[in-house]
Amino acid sequence: MNSEVAARASLAVSLAFHIVFAALGIGLPLMFCIAEGIGLRKRDATWYVLARRWSRAAGILFVVGAVSGTALSFEFGLLWPRFMAFGSGIFGLMFTFEGFCFFLEAIFLGLYLFGWDRLSPRTHWLCSFPVVITGALASQFILSVNSWMNTPTGFTLTNGTATNIDPIAAMFNPMAPSQAIHMLVAAYQVTGFTIAAVYAAGLLRGRNNSYHRRGVLLGMLVAAAMIIPQAIAGSWIGEALARNQPQKLASIEGLFQTTAHAPLALFGWVDTAAQQIYFAINIPDMLSFLAFNHFDATVTGMDAFPQNTWPGPVLVPIAHLAFDTMATLGGLFLLVPLVFWFFYFRQHRAVPTARWLMWVLLICSPLTFVALEAGWVTAELGRQPWIIYNIMRTSDGVTTNGGVAFFFFVFLAIYIALAIATIALLRRLAREHKTFNPEKKVVGSAE
Amino acid sequence: MSQSTLATLAAALAWVALIAYAVLGGADFGGGIWDLLASGSRAERQRAVIARGMGPVWESNNVWLIFVLVVTWTAFPTVYAGISTALFIPITLAVIGIVLRGAAFSFRSNYGREVGSGVRWGYVFSIASTITPFLFGTIAGALASGNIRVSTGPPLQVQDNPWTTWTTPFALTCGLFAVALCSVLAATYLTIDARKAGDDAVAEDFRLRALVAGAVTAALGALAAVLAISEAPTLWQGLIGKALPFAIAAVVIGLATAAALLRRLDYLARVLVAAETACIFLAWGVAQWPYLIVPDVTVDNAASPASVLGPLLIVSVLGLVILLPSLWYLFTVVKRTPRRSTPSVGTGVTTAAFVASLPLADPDVPPPHTAPLSAQASAVVLPALPGGPTMQRIAPVLAALFAIAAAPLITGIFEGMSRGMHRGMQQGLERVQRRRNQRHRSAHAH
Repeated sequence: MNSEVAARASLAVSLAFHIVFAALGIGLPLMFCIAEGIGLRKRDATWYVLARRWSRAAGILFVVGAVSGTALSFEFGLLWPRFMAFGSGIFGLMFTFEGFCFFLEAIFLGLYLFGWDRLSPRTHWLCSFPVVITGALASQFILSVNSWMNTPTGFTLTNGTATNIDPIAAMFNPMAPSQAIHMLVAAYQVTGFTIAAVYAAGLLRGRNNSYHRRGVLLGMLVAAAMIIPQAIAGSWIGEALARNQPQKLASIEGLFQTTAHAPLALFGWVDTAAQQIYFAINIPDMLSFLAFNHFDATVTGMDAFPQNTWPGPVLVPIAHLAFDTMATLGGLFLLVPLVFWFFYFRQHRAVPTARWLMWVLLICSPLTFVALEAGWVTAELGRQPWIIYNIMRTSDGVTTNGGVAFFFFVFLAIYIALAIATIALLRRLAREHKTFNPEKKVVGSAE
Repeated sequence: MSQSTLATLAAALAWVALIAYAVLGGADFGGGIWDLLASGSRAERQRAVIARGMGPVWESNNVWLIFVLVVTWTAFPTVYAGISTALFIPITLAVIGIVLRGAAFSFRSNYGREVGSGVRWGYVFSIASTITPFLFGTIAGALASGNIRVSTGPPLQVQDNPWTTWTTPFALTCGLFAVALCSVLAATYLTIDARKAGDDAVAEDFRLRALVAGAVTAALGALAAVLAISEAPTLWQGLIGKALPFAIAAVVIGLATAAALLRRLDYLARVLVAAETACIFLAWGVAQWPYLIVPDVTVDNAASPASVLGPLLIVSVLGLVILLPSLWYLFTVVKRTPRRSTPSVGTGVTTAAFVASLPLADPDVPPPHTAPLSAQASAVVLPALPGGPTMQRIAPVLAALFAIAAAPLITGIFEGMSRGMHRGMQQGLERVQRRRNQRHRSAHAH
């Protein structure tokens, strides 16, 4: 394993791991904020139990997210020192903002977790707002760094160094808003579906009580609220790509020839040597429409760019499949909440508990993570071979140290161990409460 | 402000954050060390005090480290890249330590120590807590030694021996010194925690440990200074030159800490030991000034341009204005006695109790989320804002952050005030009562 491959694999493992916890860390606070708010308003203990349990889960997930995030902030330098030497002055301000957001998030999450018995209910509830907002803001700044790697702005390149640095212009680079919103909404979707799935599993096991029904309800509420934002963000990011990074769009769509009436190729295997795409389902004119809102618009193909700037024979097909996986699953996630709410209103505002629907919810949750990872894979592979698009190649950013392969295996082992331990712990947490039945125990005393 | 002034300020900012990390986060590492060294019949009680003290705060303490890293790579990109390249091995090991320490602490406290996996995670936690500060110490030693040669480039080129740079006698002594310092900090803080929890025996345990660890720290510090004469001459020249006042202050405050511990002045000892740590770091920083990596990288030649440093400093100062009160609020709230002793057992019952303890229905609660909502909105609108001076463009973000922090803080402060007033009134009433009783008694005596 050479240094570059090992470094990329190491960072890929770390980020693939971190993104799961980051997404839940952004989404869960929103869930417990809403649940506690309803509980406070309606003076309803069941909502409180939900909020309290989610906050415990969020506590565990936040710790794992925070330590893997701390590790990441070292890994940038350990694995990509030349990239950091070039760029960290430019995008450092975004990390500074993110750092403060993260700091506030840690403080208020601490207050929230340890304040259940120490703060008045209203103050306690208020403490969830900073957690929700700083979590969301932090993601915006981090995504802004990522989008800067795609559309680097805010500096002038002179003799291999950056001069005339404007960190604010770098922060608001062209891809920043669409990428950031797309990710934020995705994080809420992932959390909504996951929460719904946890309680759908309980309902499937016959624990049909208001506690489980409300868990499903709130999960689906958040998932439904994200339908329109995600539809907008999805098409926005497509248009932004067509405008700012036509090469990336061509790579992930497997479009070799620049053409008007460009078809959308779904799935299939992209062969960069033959410049063809096998076994794909072609939808005529669709790509032109997605990119420019006109069926006859001209979409730039890979032929407009020299072959040595293509992501390569392996990465292009993977990026294409990852993109189609994300897009297809994304469509599913827009549909499922609609079905759920259709039955909700048809049953006169009763949470539908049909077994097939619960199974659908149960299956959707892991699929949201698949879509999350696939979207991230698309974004990263589509940018290759650049670490900073058209400025620095990935191979020029990597560390000159040997021993990166060892680093990779050690971190792979650690992250696998952490993943297993976290899942075991969350399952334990779920078991601890599974006998809880609000109708029997609490309602009487709550009044 | 000139470039050089800005660079100095940025270095000072990084150093202040580093001191905060040492004083707060260092104590958390120390907690892990004492967890490993817990002994005698009170070992479990010692561990319980450590877990209770660290639980709510270690995560926010850990963020100081991230802050140090972020300021370093923003303000001094070559320093961050250079250190990461030259000291790849100890930093990698330290990262592993940080990941395992944090995760293990959280897993352990969620499993409960008695359970099998809880005990295993307990060992991971305490061993990682001991190794990590040791590695940080060796890194610091390596930076001062002058064995890392950097040509700032571009491209950046770093030359050192990846194995021996951080394993010289001087660097290893620095590592041990860091471990000892962390244990003094922790033991001093834990004395107070145990005393507050009403466990005087454990408090005495920690007081004794603080004294012993303090003596060890002093010895290691002296040894490091002697080794520095030959192995880190630049540092040594600084220590007997421009940093001498800080070095002397560190020694004097160290002695005062020992005296305070001997006389059981716990709270004074806590302040003194924090001041001592700050002095040690100031002495190190000033002695090495202006070098960040001896002998090639200085504050001036590594600094980002003023267009980066200016916004960084503005954002950091305003950020700290929001952060520090929030942090203070966290520290005060977690010190309060919880309403119930076992929060997570028997959810059904406890939640009922919690709901029953709610104040009477209060339907006209003012909508508290107006400020955060507008903050969110401005964050969404931000990318569309037109260009202009830096401050104008950062302003909405800062305003948003202010609003976020302000809502619960204000409520919290109000709550604290009403609590204080209530207590004050009660004390006043008691005093009146007591005086009346006294007058009664004296009247009877006459």
